[in-house]
Amino acid sequence: MSLERPDSVDDAAVERTPDELEALLGDLVVDRDDHLNAPGFVIRPDTVQETLSILKEQAGYDHLSVVSAQEYENRYESIYHLKKFDDPTQEVSIVVPADKDNPVSESAEPVFRTADWHEREAYDLIGVEYDDHPDLRRILLPETWQGHPLSMDYDKDRPQIATLPEHANPLQEHHKDAESDTMFLNIGPHHPATHGVLHLKTVLDGEQVVDVEPDIGYLHRSEEQMAQSGTYRHQIMPYPDRWDYISAGLLNEWAYARAAEDLADIEVPEYAQVIRTMGAEMCRIAAHMLALATFALDINGDFTATFMYAINDRERVQNLLEDLTGQRLMFNYFRLGGVVWDLPEPRDEFFSKTRDFLDHLPESVEEYHNLITSNEIFQMRTIDTGILPPEVAKNYGATGPVARGSGVDYDLRRDDPYGYYDELDWDVITEDGCDNFSRLLVRMREVEESAKIIEQCVDLLEDWPEDERNIQANVPRTLRPDDDTEIYRAVEAAKGELGIYIRADGTDKPARFKIRSPCFSNLQTLPEMANGEYIPDVVAALGSLDIVLGEVDR
Amino acid sequence: MGTAPAQLFPEYLVDTFGIDSVLGDVVASLIGAALVANIILAFSGVAGPWAKRKITAAFTDRIAVDRIGPYGLLIIPAAAVQLLAKELIVPEGVDRPTWDIAPILLPASAMLGFSVIPMGHIGPLNLHLADPEVGLALVFAFASIASVSLVMAGYASSNKYSLLGGLRAVAQNLAYEIPLIVTAMSVVIFAGTLQISGVVGAQTETLVTIAGISIPAWFAFVNPFAFVLFLTANMAEIGRNPFDIPEAPTEIVGGYQTEYSSAYFVLFYLGEFVHIFLGGAILSVVFLGGASGPGPESISFIWFVVKVWGFFLFTQWARAAIPRVRIDQLIEIGWKGMLVLSFANLVLTAVIVGVIA
Repeated sequence: MSLERPDSVDDAAVERTPDELEALLGDLVVDRDDHLNAPGFVIRPDTVQETLSILKEQAGYDHLSVVSAQEYENRYESIYHLKKFDDPTQEVSIVVPADKDNPVSESAEPVFRTADWHEREAYDLIGVEYDDHPDLRRILLPETWQGHPLSMDYDKDRPQIATLPEHANPLQEHHKDAESDTMFLNIGPHHPATHGVLHLKTVLDGEQVVDVEPDIGYLHRSEEQMAQSGTYRHQIMPYPDRWDYISAGLLNEWAYARAAEDLADIEVPEYAQVIRTMGAEMCRIAAHMLALATFALDINGDFTATFMYAINDRERVQNLLEDLTGQRLMFNYFRLGGVVWDLPEPRDEFFSKTRDFLDHLPESVEEYHNLITSNEIFQMRTIDTGILPPEVAKNYGATGPVARGSGVDYDLRRDDPYGYYDELDWDVITEDGCDNFSRLLVRMREVEESAKIIEQCVDLLEDWPEDERNIQANVPRTLRPDDDTEIYRAVEAAKGELGIYIRADGTDKPARFKIRSPCFSNLQTLPEMANGEYIPDVVAALGSLDIVLGEVDR
Repeated sequence: MGTAPAQLFPEYLVDTFGIDSVLGDVVASLIGAALVANIILAFSGVAGPWAKRKITAAFTDRIAVDRIGPYGLLIIPAAAVQLLAKELIVPEGVDRPTWDIAPILLPASAMLGFSVIPMGHIGPLNLHLADPEVGLALVFAFASIASVSLVMAGYASSNKYSLLGGLRAVAQNLAYEIPLIVTAMSVVIFAGTLQISGVVGAQTETLVTIAGISIPAWFAFVNPFAFVLFLTANMAEIGRNPFDIPEAPTEIVGGYQTEYSSAYFVLFYLGEFVHIFLGGAILSVVFLGGASGPGPESISFIWFVVKVWGFFLFTQWARAAIPRVRIDQLIEIGWKGMLVLSFANLVLTAVIVGVIA
């Protein structure tokens, strides 16, 4: 069946017990600090590269999901959450404490490229300094910011001055490189192709891109801080809708729900799981439709019909989501232990509407293939541009359609099953082109897979006996997970692996709430794709990454 | 070779009012020019704020303007007032007066092209201002002045996006002007003249008669290959999809027109629309029998309008359906593809015409 993995003979894929791993790392391990999801090894701050290299090369932990940092009363701590692309259920956490007065820790960037941005974020928000990091600057906050907002002694009342150097005259002398003929160009923060407030510092040689550096943080809204100030039970759930706000809301909510439910040991009723699965896949269709629409906008120009056609289809699924959740954008539909309410009455009407949509979908997808993917000019523009080889994609922690467009067969719905996915019949889509075209094709084919999932869910829900429709488990009014329990849990959101790290401190609010945003890691690959290409290809590559700045900046 | 050219519009005025002097010629020419310019401006006025939006909306499943007036038609005066009432923002560091001349040059150059275009008859009036012997060469010369305007705008704006747009405009025009003119020359070989009335006249003969319907010898029917070549090059010439590269809003934010607002912006847009109509007019003159069509000659202006607007519709259709090519791909198509094909077409036409004639 489709959900089974191909046999792997690779030694690295062999699962090792925590003790075997400890033996492999030997003296590097100074202590154990197990998390709910994975064994955790405490190492010295100057052995990060050595430890991660061993785990990557000898034990096959080739996916650095996220680096989450935090400050304790007596120390700083960076946690490297490692996984395997071949089997993400095999996880290990590397815990690196750093000195309270002089928080310096070795950078993991030489081992995992993705650590570059993740460590910059940890430096920016927490204040851990990473030795040997190639470019340790602030990433989300302005360069001039004083203090680290998530550290303990941060003075939030202190006035801050944020300059806007982007507003400098672009023809000023200092932008000119006297030695060469290159030209510096600011693309964004306000530019039609950046899909939000993203700033690309671009160096051009004629029309060709010599260097591009994404500058993010314009949409930073302290989402982690806000989640840390809310109670587990009700106050956090509305926030995930605002990360990837391209109607992927339910997928985001599921990330928090999954982490918090595993943390508090809540069992979700099967019926609610089916509803969740159906709703989440509707969100995925809506999100992919928008990705398709805006990509056509990037390639075709402003007046393309494909954009409106795809928005029309998105509208249809949006109506279904509105019927289900009562909301069009910020759903707030999931609750810990289930969903907030049952399917809308009359149920038959909802089912027939859903089936109408599903019946109409293959025709639409066919039309998109006629309009764009089989158009020769479109192929000329997208095939073999924005190349992202699979090894590079893995090194940068790219996930979702971006990784699958590079042939990386990684989908948490199948590889780390949750919800009702492992009971259903569907396929993980991969394409081997590694280019802009493949990434688009993956999304278009995933829409069809999502439709298959929704159809099976509708079948199940239609026949569900009336007295077994339990939408919520019994969850205590106030949740207080045990002190010092830590968990990292991820789901397959529209853009890739959306993970949440929570540390509980025995109160009803999380002590640390860290969001692993797929767009954040995916966007990091842009320079790899763009360098040496033309400006239009950078625009296409950015479009094919399908980033949402709300999720990149959080 | 068809019928004798009809009396030109200024000559008609001179004859009718008996003002046969230098002054009379000047006055008659000015009146004629004013009439033709107003017709074209009216076209653009309808096309810009209303028809283009309605057409695009029809292609993309939308409704577009329908709030003011019947079918939303009153959006035209509303948009005119709105656009002219906007503040003209002159960015610091622009290179004046180059920056001010560019938006005037674009519509002016396109408008100039219409001086030699025969626009058909309205009753006894032959809407044709001048018919010089090198008319066809002249109309291409006028049309190409547009690229000068784009370069001026791109350079003088002191904006990197504008500069890129200007550079792209030059590269694109170089790559397409030559195939465009070489293809038009193949028609000249058929017609045996550069005079526009001659080119149109050569297309009035009957090519074949099928079941009682006579198909005129429009060069689009005589040489469909040249027609397709010309149509493609023409799309690049007027900068519409798939060749709207000098503007490319999703890449270089409007290119050369990035820094223009208010009246200057209107002038640029006006210039673009007039340019599209000029493109349609050239196409109809060279390949579609000018203003000729079924019915009496006195209503042939209607056919001219149909052909020109048909071309406008085609450009909007292409915009809705076809992706934009990349600048290097465009240059490749232009120099490696179209240039070779257009010369092949020219040589082949010359040989065939030489053998038959």
